[in-house]
Amino acid sequence: MDVVIRQAHPGADVPAYHSFEQKMRDAAAYRREDGIGWPVLVDDLEGTTHQVYGGLADPTYLIDIDGRVAFYNLWTHAPTLHEALEELRQQGWRGEVKGGVHQTPHLLSSMTDGWKGLRRGWPQSFIELETSAPGMASGPWLGYQLRPLLAPLTLRAKPLPPSAKLGLAVGAAALLILGVRNLRSRPATSSSRGRTRNKRLQ
Amino acid sequence: MQSDTQKEELATRSTETTQRFVTLKDKLSSEEYNFEHFRTKHLLSDAQATIEKRGIQPGEVAPDFELPRVSGGTLRLSELRGKPVLLHFGSFT
Repeated sequence: MDVVIRQAHPGADVPAYHSFEQKMRDAAAYRREDGIGWPVLVDDLEGTTHQVYGGLADPTYLIDIDGRVAFYNLWTHAPTLHEALEELRQQGWRGEVKGGVHQTPHLLSSMTDGWKGLRRGWPQSFIELETSAPGMASGPWLGYQLRPLLAPLTLRAKPLPPSAKLGLAVGAAALLILGVRNLRSRPATSSSRGRTRNKRLQ
Repeated sequence: MQSDTQKEELATRSTETTQRFVTLKDKLSSEEYNFEHFRTKHLLSDAQATIEKRGIQPGEVAPDFELPRVSGGTLRLSELRGKPVLLHFGSFT
């Protein structure tokens, strides 16, 4: 289920909430526009439930059949949740899984998916986030433009199969080795290195 | 079936959870919570919460709540006992 919290990146069309009705309207739009098929709940104006659960930015809790926290993901990441659910299923839906907490932000998936929320507050949301952390708003914008290319890798519901991870790792290593060889085969003066680099950039 | 020890442990944990509601001393005011502008301090607070793992800790009973649903009616978390639950806190923006 989803609990709708405060406006994380307010803007002219999506100002900070001053009434519960306003929050309810946005929650209905959130459910409709994002095509959410599970229950969407609305927290009170003060964010009581959200704050009791730690006031985190984009968390997902996995709760076991006894009502205890089995795991939580500080920055929601579908493949991580998929693994946690699978582990919980194997434990008969009880107890802790995956060490209890996963706190690493998955920047690439945020970059591909983050624009969806941010664009609703454009331009204020963009300017304020980019000023606080350069790249955090322009990155998701760029990621959104490159979505068809990145989505199959970064927006997966399940983890990449090990063979695909291996393939990507081998590919990256091969590129690295080729790059280093190429650099070494040139005369090792700093100016020629500079030229090589410039040529590559063109 | 749960043993007595398990039941006791569960009761203690429930009390802890209730305490959380009562003593949420760093609860933000409505104005602070519903900020008009995203600032660096909000980013830093998110980073700090991440480092401190400031959520409900694994093994703790998930605090109960009853909230209105977009589709009408309300939903209470404890009604879902016996089923695994994925609980996401999300913003429209």
